[in-house]
Amino acid sequence: MGRFCVSLTSAKDNRDKATVAFVVANAAAGSEQETMVFLSTEAVRLAVPGYADDIREEGFAPLAELMAKFTAAGGKVYVCSPCFKKRGLDETKLVAGATIVGGAKLVEFLAGGSPCVSY
Amino acid sequence: MQRPMEPRADDHWDAGEMGCGELVIELRARLRALAPRRVLRLVALDPGAREDIPAWCGLTGHALVLAAHPVYHIRRKEN
Repeated sequence: MGRFCVSLTSAKDNRDKATVAFVVANAAAGSEQETMVFLSTEAVRLAVPGYADDIREEGFAPLAELMAKFTAAGGKVYVCSPCFKKRGLDETKLVAGATIVGGAKLVEFLAGGSPCVSY
Repeated sequence: MQRPMEPRADDHWDAGEMGCGELVIELRARLRALAPRRVLRLVALDPGAREDIPAWCGLTGHALVLAAHPVYHIRRKEN
């Protein structure tokens, strides 16, 4: 199985990017790639339960639904630890499939030979 | 409804206008639910399906036995 990374830095500041990132992540997970979405800077807010519920871009499924399908298919969501802390978010409350990680976890995933697309 | 010249399929899914990641993640689930060597008849109206479905079959190992957009027949792999 190949690996695939999607790096996302936007949340409600750019709903279009946030949505398309998870559409592409679903394409990768649906194509049987070991897929990881890396949320950093503003995108870490997407790991907070309920935050994505009102992100519904025209022509796309609601973001919360895209995220749920992604994790149900085995996709992983890594959440940048310092970005999360900086925003004063509660690390004990995360959406299903999300894990708080430091940079080493991202480097480990990419250094293993994964392509990465960024939004 | 199946076209007269089409080979037989075991299951059918009309994906309508669904495309890109939304299409293939659902397609993955539907193929996994089929027994090995069974054939799914897919109708996918999204214009990207012409390129995406052959690429997806190549990535996953399922066999594309018919590609006549918007109709595709996909045979599930062994495991």
